[in-house]
Amino acid sequence: MLKADNITKSFDQTKILHGVSLSVEKGKICALIGPSGSGKTTLLKILAFLEQPDSGSVSIDDLTYQFPLPNSQKIQPPWPKVTVVFQQLFLWPHLTLLQNMTLPLTTRGLDNSPPRLKELMDLFAMNDFVYRYPNQASLGQRQRAALVRALLLEPEYLLLDEITSSLDIEQTAIILSQLKKLSGQGIGILTITHLLQFAHDAADKVIFMTSGEILEEGGANILTNPKHERLSQFLSVLKTVS
Amino acid sequence: MNVFDILVKYQQAFADGLIVTFQMCLIIWKAGIIFGALLGIAAARWPLILGIPARLISFILSGMPILVFLFWLHYPLQSLLGIVVDPFITAVVTITIINIFAVSEIVRIALIDFPSQYIVAAKVCGLSAFHTVLYIQLPIILRQTLPGLLMIQVGMLHATLFASLISVNEIFRVSQQINSVVYKPVEIYTALGILFLAICLPMNGLALWLRQQYTRDYSER
Repeated sequence: MLKADNITKSFDQTKILHGVSLSVEKGKICALIGPSGSGKTTLLKILAFLEQPDSGSVSIDDLTYQFPLPNSQKIQPPWPKVTVVFQQLFLWPHLTLLQNMTLPLTTRGLDNSPPRLKELMDLFAMNDFVYRYPNQASLGQRQRAALVRALLLEPEYLLLDEITSSLDIEQTAIILSQLKKLSGQGIGILTITHLLQFAHDAADKVIFMTSGEILEEGGANILTNPKHERLSQFLSVLKTVS
Repeated sequence: MNVFDILVKYQQAFADGLIVTFQMCLIIWKAGIIFGALLGIAAARWPLILGIPARLISFILSGMPILVFLFWLHYPLQSLLGIVVDPFITAVVTITIINIFAVSEIVRIALIDFPSQYIVAAKVCGLSAFHTVLYIQLPIILRQTLPGLLMIQVGMLHATLFASLISVNEIFRVSQQINSVVYKPVEIYTALGILFLAICLPMNGLALWLRQQYTRDYSER
């Protein structure tokens, strides 16, 4: 299990997270929803060990880090056991999309053309553009490449930040089915999303976060029967927009 | 006597002058790039101790004409210290100092402006620090800096002409000496111009090609 417990985090005197606790279980999909600036991405970075919280603890399986870390303790980075697909994607600009996807395999001494690569490229209809550089590809094409790069790493926990924001309905549906397949294979998935239908259809657990706090969490039914007024407001705004 | 006749008649003198120019260039280029890159890396790593002084010296040097710097090192400094240094060495040291600080500034800026998100992506993909430097940082930094570095080296080759003014027998001084004998300034300086174009244009062309090839728009629309 990947778990954050009672996490607080501030940037320049501004408190971003106020004692947030969240867990991602293996084989489950957790959807994190909430308005912009609510601290979702900061929490995701903390779970990915890219950011250290001011206080609280982060656990990955049987290893727990209590923050602030004692001077003697150093974090053993769990990458790519835990990996992230960022909203901004962060594809390496000097490499083609194909090279972006296969470089992590090459550097780990693995086959850089595994059957899984062809399978994913076919699934996401990528064969026509994998030789493009990131700046020559559309956002949707880059999002698919970034997702495939992460999937080829065979992570145990996959953290996704708004990865469907520029995909069409068909591609979103493919990703939804892939995420379900991956969770079925025992991968724990945390996805930040604004797509309510995506969260509803994909998630085992939905968490609503605002102003650095988790206000409500539960099954997909919280999207249809929210208890908290703020979540109702948020959902109605999203429904109006969509 | 046309250009060709002059080149043939004085081929040995031209060859000697060219050799001196190339000797100067090789030292200036090698030392400038190696020590400049090291200084740039150190300045980016320790911005307070090295970064600020390096930037300050670069700033001062950028405002000082090379000729003034060269003459100052050749006459007043040596007179103050009571030493006499071979003009070849003085010229090489002067231009190398300028090259080192110019190169270090390019390297320093490329390092401190390096987009950290590419390193974050490498981390979460499980790349080691070594692989991150080798496959991500170095290629991107080289692509960003190579055109600028090449242009600077062309500028350093041009700067070697100033060495003629402190009696270094490089190609320009040799041309002047030949001209004083045959008095064919049009032919001689045309030949010299063509020679420099033949060396510098391919280097500039390469820099331009690298710039177009590698410093493409990296922004992700």
